[in-house]
Amino acid sequence: MIEKMDNPGPRVLIVDDEVAIRRFLRPSLVAHGYSVYEASSGEEALQIVPASRPDIIILDLCLPGMGGTEVIRCLREWTQTPIIILSVEGEESVKIAALDAGADDYLTKPFGPGELLARIRASLRRVIKPEGEPVFTAGDLTVNLAERVVRLRETEVQLTPTEYSLLKTLVAHANKLLTHRQLVREVWGGAHYEDAPHLLRVNISNLRRKIETEPSRPRYIITEPGVGYRLRTETPSPKVI
Amino acid sequence: MSVLRRTCPTPVEARHFLIESEVHNVSMRNEVVDSQALSRLLRLATRNDRPAGSKHWSRSLGFGAQWAGDLDWRSALAALAPVSFLTIAGVWIEPIIKGPNLAVLYMLAVVFTALRWGRWAAVLSAISGALLFDYFFVPPYRSFSLSDVWYLITLIGLLSVGLLVSMLTLAAREEAAAARAREVQTAALYSLTKSLAAENDLDQILRVIGQHMFETFQTPIMMWMPGDGGLAIRYCNEEFAPNEVTRVAAEWVFESGQVAGYGTARFSDSRVYCLPLKTWRAVEGVLGVRVDNAKEWLAPQLRPLLETFANQAALAITRAVLAKEAQRIEVIQEADKLQKALLNSISHNLRTPLSSVTGALNSVLEDGTLLDVSTQRELLKTAQEEARRLNQLLQNLLDMTRLEGGILHLKTELHDIQDAVGAALEQLATVAQQRPITISIPPNLPLVRMDFVPIVQVLVNLLDNALKYSPVDAPIEVGAALDANQVQIRVADSGKGIPEQYLQRVFEKFFRGAPAEAPGGAGLGLSICKGLVEAHHGRIWAQRREQGGTEVIFSLPL
Repeated sequence: MIEKMDNPGPRVLIVDDEVAIRRFLRPSLVAHGYSVYEASSGEEALQIVPASRPDIIILDLCLPGMGGTEVIRCLREWTQTPIIILSVEGEESVKIAALDAGADDYLTKPFGPGELLARIRASLRRVIKPEGEPVFTAGDLTVNLAERVVRLRETEVQLTPTEYSLLKTLVAHANKLLTHRQLVREVWGGAHYEDAPHLLRVNISNLRRKIETEPSRPRYIITEPGVGYRLRTETPSPKVI
Repeated sequence: MSVLRRTCPTPVEARHFLIESEVHNVSMRNEVVDSQALSRLLRLATRNDRPAGSKHWSRSLGFGAQWAGDLDWRSALAALAPVSFLTIAGVWIEPIIKGPNLAVLYMLAVVFTALRWGRWAAVLSAISGALLFDYFFVPPYRSFSLSDVWYLITLIGLLSVGLLVSMLTLAAREEAAAARAREVQTAALYSLTKSLAAENDLDQILRVIGQHMFETFQTPIMMWMPGDGGLAIRYCNEEFAPNEVTRVAAEWVFESGQVAGYGTARFSDSRVYCLPLKTWRAVEGVLGVRVDNAKEWLAPQLRPLLETFANQAALAITRAVLAKEAQRIEVIQEADKLQKALLNSISHNLRTPLSSVTGALNSVLEDGTLLDVSTQRELLKTAQEEARRLNQLLQNLLDMTRLEGGILHLKTELHDIQDAVGAALEQLATVAQQRPITISIPPNLPLVRMDFVPIVQVLVNLLDNALKYSPVDAPIEVGAALDANQVQIRVADSGKGIPEQYLQRVFEKFFRGAPAEAPGGAGLGLSICKGLVEAHHGRIWAQRREQGGTEVIFSLPL
């Protein structure tokens, strides 16, 4: 079921067996300049991807037949196209499995088109960002990867090597949701995974105290309960009095 | 032999035996049941019924095992002693008291022998006494011939009295032994009944029955009970391994309510005697007794006792089964009540937001042309907000189902409370963004062992309530503090506050304040919080604030 639109924008493949979901996503995506492809099952998606070469894939985790996680594994064997998964509340373990299998982000149903568009933009930006960019900026936060210097507004922030390594990992995958396991593997190399979740939380907490103006309402390092963390670059900071 | 002597004592020994068993009982510090004594008595009883032709010929004549010990040559000599003594003495005193009167003394000697050594000794004593009397004291002297027919009557009298007395003695002794056996049986039953009365759990009851019966009958016991997959062994002494025949026999017994297995007309190939555990209600199960010693099994005393045990067992089992059933019915009724409340809640609370959504969307679709753009937008925003509420309601219902169904498995790890507060606020971003919220969490607060997602859910529910029940510009406070060996987290609003009498009831399921002051909700939020916090071994409570508003505090142990 390939429906190509006469639109030169980025190509989005929606994989969901629910017609209603596809019907409500299509107009907003088209309106924002995307070409939309649809598939109603995992098998169909695997057939379509090589031909349609989507720039991003929106994948429902709960599919009839081949499950979402399985689809991700198959795709990741040959393509790094960003995948955003759709799931329902309270399925943390399924989400983590999908993310560890290679999904880039997730959205919990019900969601609005605004949220989805923001995630799509973030994922696409990650893919097309120029390699070797030495300075990362998000709001008041600046991370100079070449000089290993972190600044908040103009003030330099002193980080421990682990904290810096953690921040660097988050920056390298800015806006991408990283699971606990992925972060631990990147920062600690997975050597002592037993204590790692605890170390990770302590370091995130310390890092937040150093770079967030309000650590209880973080603006940059966002917790995805039970799943992992992401470094957020856009979204206006919530007003706190 | 010595065992037999001990168990079937002469009067003197009997006293010893009683003392012995008393000592035994005291040392046991237990019920008066001397089970070993009982089984010995039972065995003894069985042996009385052994067929003739055994080595101990006396038994075949029905004298009882206790007399066997008297029949060696020493006992025979002992039995002869009184008459011999009397004969020797009689030679001296005969001139004084005359022959016929001497016969009375012989009679006394026979009676004494009968009392002292029993029937065979009495017979021996009577015959030898008659012969000695005849030989020495009946004219013509020093000869066995009788000159006077009256002396014959004296001799017959001598024999009859000896036998009669010995028979009466035996009867009295057997009566005493039977009484003793009955007493031990009664004690065994009493002990069983007493032990059973203390138990309510089926497995425990079966164990008690099994142990008591094993102690009493000294043979392996097993019990079958009906289960999901048909009749199955529920209790078994370890050394007991029933074969296929026994299994089929047990099934037949369960179906028919009659005995089967060893020694019966049906399934007699089995080594196990199977009795139904039958009560007024139904056949509750099957009791199996392995028969190791075929001869003992013939004891007539054994079956009634076994049946009595089986009856007691069946009654106890019925009691346990009924108790369990009553409990199940109670659970079902409770679940039923909950389900009704849930259905009520669902039908009311889900339909309300749903009708707002439907209404708003229908207005825009059907009367779109009549409404200006800002009104249409307003309607759509209503639909959006109501849909959000609907989603939250569903989440609450799901959480409640998980809590109630015991599906909640906490994965506790050390977490930062600050992180949880941040995640909760992030989830409420759309409604919380424009509200004044102050957060006070000390930076040195230790990490708390908890399951992150449920605790975030608790915070979301509490914050959502605070946002819902207080004016838009009223400040909301979130704080955490260390208190001894726990962390207390509080969410406070400046709304109208919960009336004093409802402060505890707000945590009940489906409890909602007066409809006017509750802007929707199923009355589940706080009860879910309570369930989740208590699953963490924490506590949650609400209190009124001095300056107005409500404060909900929950503690998590460190």
